[in-house]
Amino acid sequence: MHNAMKARWFWYSLLCVLSWGAWALLSKLGSREIPPETMQFLFTIGCLPVCIALLIVRRFRMEKSPKGISYAVLNGVLSGIGGLTLFAAYHTGGNTSLITAATALYPMITVVLAVLVLRERIRPIQVIGLAFAAAAFVIFSI
Amino acid sequence: MHISAWLWFAAITLLAWGVVGLLQKLSTNYISAESSLIWLVAGFMLLEPLFYPGRSVLHYSGWNLTWALLSGFLNALGAWALFAALKSGGKASIVAPLTALYPVVVIALVPLVLHESITHLQLLGIFFSLVAVVLLSS
Repeated sequence: MHNAMKARWFWYSLLCVLSWGAWALLSKLGSREIPPETMQFLFTIGCLPVCIALLIVRRFRMEKSPKGISYAVLNGVLSGIGGLTLFAAYHTGGNTSLITAATALYPMITVVLAVLVLRERIRPIQVIGLAFAAAAFVIFSI
Repeated sequence: MHISAWLWFAAITLLAWGVVGLLQKLSTNYISAESSLIWLVAGFMLLEPLFYPGRSVLHYSGWNLTWALLSGFLNALGAWALFAALKSGGKASIVAPLTALYPVVVIALVPLVLHESITHLQLLGIFFSLVAVVLLSS
């Protein structure tokens, strides 16, 4: 742990956790009043400064891979739909901690899809993870 | 059995983001993580005409509008920080489970900010979900 705290990756990871925690909480705060469609509209505008900074750092040089770009744009559309329903969930007034914990479980779908689509082998630790995720959902639905 | 509205919405988010996780793997086979973030936001932009609020946006409180814009900024900043962690020598097997724990920040702050409460059973469910994300992403 002591070594980890001297490493840059540790501080970047911490910045990531705190940013995403604040993103989820602020999404809830905004969603108390603002409907999901408008939240998603404003959220996207909020993303732009980071994208522009990334583009400037890269001097606007981008890889020209139609496949890579298509997957990423499709990702944006799906991610935006997921964002919209997250804002909708917060807008219902449901419990914020439960909604945040439930939606953070998306790696369970990715792991299952990686097995089905990419024919990746599932590891025992992931099977245990899926069991915990299933148990969490059973409790959330009570 | 009655399932709350929030859980249905959360399930759609879960499915959509689960597919995103898979496509992210495929996209970064061809382009860098940073480029994929830029094109992902381009995908967000495709949806913008559907969600354009017009003048109704002026009716909302300034604070709530600020939270909405800031939430987008922080989400993108978090994604950038994740890529930076991986590029600066962080092992994915450590960084991914660590960053998947972002709900902990929310759960810690909710009692201070929102005055919501949860039952012991729900707390157990949250604990299970955190164990699950750590195991699934390690």
